[in-house]
Amino acid sequence: MTFDLNALEANYPLLLQGLLVTLRIVFYAILFGALGSVVLCLGKLSGRGPGYRVAVFVIDFFRTIPEVVLIFWVYSCLPLLFGLRMSAEISGIVALSLFVAANVAEILRAGILSTEKGQLEAAFSLGLPASTIWRRVVLPPAVRRMMPNFVNFLTELLKASSLLSTIGVAEIVYQATVLGNETFAYLEFLTAVAVLFFMLIFPLSLYVRRAETRHFKRTSR
Amino acid sequence: MGLFGELIEASGGRWIRGGLTAGLAGLIALALINLNWKIVGGLDFAVLWQYRGTLAEGLVMTLVLTAAAAACGIFFGTILAVLTQVPLAPARWFAIGYVELFRNTPILVQVLWIHFALPLVSGINTSAIVSGVIAIVLQASAYFGEIVRGGIRAVPAGYGEASDALGIPVYTRWRRVILPPAFRVMIPPFVNMTISFFKASAILTVLQVGELMTVSTRIANAIFKPIEILTLAALIYFLFGYAISQSTHWLERSLARREGR
Amino acid sequence: MSAGATKQAVRCTDVVKRYGTFVALDRVSTEIGTGEVVCVIGPSGSGKSTLLRTMNGLEAIDAGTVNVLGHTLPGPRRELETIRRRVGMVFQNFNLFGHMTVRENLVLAPMTARGLGRAEADEAAQKLLTRVGIGEQIDKYPAQLSGGQQQRVAIARALAMEPEIMLFDEPTSALDPEMVNEVLDVMRDLARGGMTMVVVTHEMGFAREVGDRILFMAEGQLLVDAAPATFFTAPEDERQKAFLSKVL
Repeated sequence: MTFDLNALEANYPLLLQGLLVTLRIVFYAILFGALGSVVLCLGKLSGRGPGYRVAVFVIDFFRTIPEVVLIFWVYSCLPLLFGLRMSAEISGIVALSLFVAANVAEILRAGILSTEKGQLEAAFSLGLPASTIWRRVVLPPAVRRMMPNFVNFLTELLKASSLLSTIGVAEIVYQATVLGNETFAYLEFLTAVAVLFFMLIFPLSLYVRRAETRHFKRTSR
Repeated sequence: MGLFGELIEASGGRWIRGGLTAGLAGLIALALINLNWKIVGGLDFAVLWQYRGTLAEGLVMTLVLTAAAAACGIFFGTILAVLTQVPLAPARWFAIGYVELFRNTPILVQVLWIHFALPLVSGINTSAIVSGVIAIVLQASAYFGEIVRGGIRAVPAGYGEASDALGIPVYTRWRRVILPPAFRVMIPPFVNMTISFFKASAILTVLQVGELMTVSTRIANAIFKPIEILTLAALIYFLFGYAISQSTHWLERSLARREGR
Repeated sequence: MSAGATKQAVRCTDVVKRYGTFVALDRVSTEIGTGEVVCVIGPSGSGKSTLLRTMNGLEAIDAGTVNVLGHTLPGPRRELETIRRRVGMVFQNFNLFGHMTVRENLVLAPMTARGLGRAEADEAAQKLLTRVGIGEQIDKYPAQLSGGQQQRVAIARALAMEPEIMLFDEPTSALDPEMVNEVLDVMRDLARGGMTMVVVTHEMGFAREVGDRILFMAEGQLLVDAAPATFFTAPEDERQKAFLSKVL
């Protein structure tokens, strides 16, 4: 068995199309998921009341169930329950948005709560208004601390997006398996997909590794 | 109430909570109005009872896969992590390359590659379950290896230097001096990673390896009750995953107690 | 009481603070007059920092009342905010905002909580920094300064709100020995200028020289309230004697 580059050459536009679909889905999932995550994070920070309890459960639930189960559930149950017609891609975006919302909410919360106690004490004893404390004291350093976690989660999201091929979303892995089924050039197409994912994800991982080492050095000094 | 509690209250905590409650109520109302009541009325969770044996088998398979991933992952991961530290460049490159390759590609692609592409290279056809186990173990080794590497780096450099000074042989140095304290800080990330592989095992449904997700979709297709089955599957995954995650707290507490903290 | 103390700035009445079953403050009552410099000393864990922190509401109390400049705690949030704007606090670990320059640290509160304009706040910041002897460091980040300099910035930051009372929570405990004096000098100047000060400290020399009164605490109780001369030369309480024999 040799690696047949001709198969790739003849079909690479389909793979790239799949890649575009992957990126589009990830973009929308981040967009809607980010909105949801802010609400969930606010709910969990609010400390008590129905909003708090629901936020805690929703975050735990969508962080704990496997992404495949979430994707299948949204794809095959949600349209039935609400009498909707949803394309596979929309289902995928909905499922991944939930996945993003729950995980990013937790990243946001952890980042905010890791604010040093002394910073808050100083802010309070200076009599700063709450809005100023959020905008100037808590959030800027918190966002900087969260960056590696955000990027790390982005790599998880990119990887999870591949699972949408199981419900027939025409993203890159789906295209590769379809092409593989047609041409039996599984080796070529699957390897190409692996390489593409690696090229997308590896730089992000490198950034995370760097940022964490920097942080490690700073805190151990 | 801590300082963050105070900040929330000072930021209008009452209004935030009120807004959230109102939003939640709105969302529930919207859902209730739009629910297809005919479908909801026809839901029959009791029918699942007759599939309890099949579902239990699936769950056992899921747990076995999880245990295999964790056990093999820790074993091979430790070897990989030690390889990244040895003064032998090719061994280091292999270990680092391996870990990066598996950490930076989706497990689904690895599963498909091993099941469909690898036989074309090796000439050996593997059954779905064998492919699945190979894929999950290979991936687990990379991820657990990364945790072990982090744990080793957290061991003070002085331990290694002291071993050198005392003339402790390499094997003893790793087994008695460096790895035990490293493993202690690794327990919480180990548990988290085990949860990740508990979740990842569901991906093997693409090969129909007979774990909980495979079984669930099969039943759903057979009796066309996707809502009941998939909801139940989600709940089972949630309960078991949640139980594993709670065990971290328990482990951390009991470790802390043993060390007299 | 010193001559400057005409009316009281702080009055604590039967203040109780518990952490679970641990009693951090056990019915503490005391008064601090305007213009007075009161040093709170005692072994670690005696509740002295906790007492200080009740005076600007950083520590909520379980029983009793704290009256600061006519505002009573526990009370509505508005009272608490008023107290905090009129009371400055300096911490053991400086607690400067590390992501802001010294200038931004100093102008933030005056601009947002006192409504000063940028130019005004800037000018005040420059003046205060000159006063504490680090006028040329205004555009540096806290991490670029020594501990002593950081603590002086922290004092200037608190003073920028033009507080009527200054609370000091072990301001020199985290400093290298050679930097202690530069901070104590600034505090001496403040005291000379008539600032009402409550200082939790281990610096017995400072307490003796600058303090108008010494409060001695142990196990959450206020045991001794005396002028420095009597406190250091004629101790009466047993725990006070034990403590002094260790630190003097």
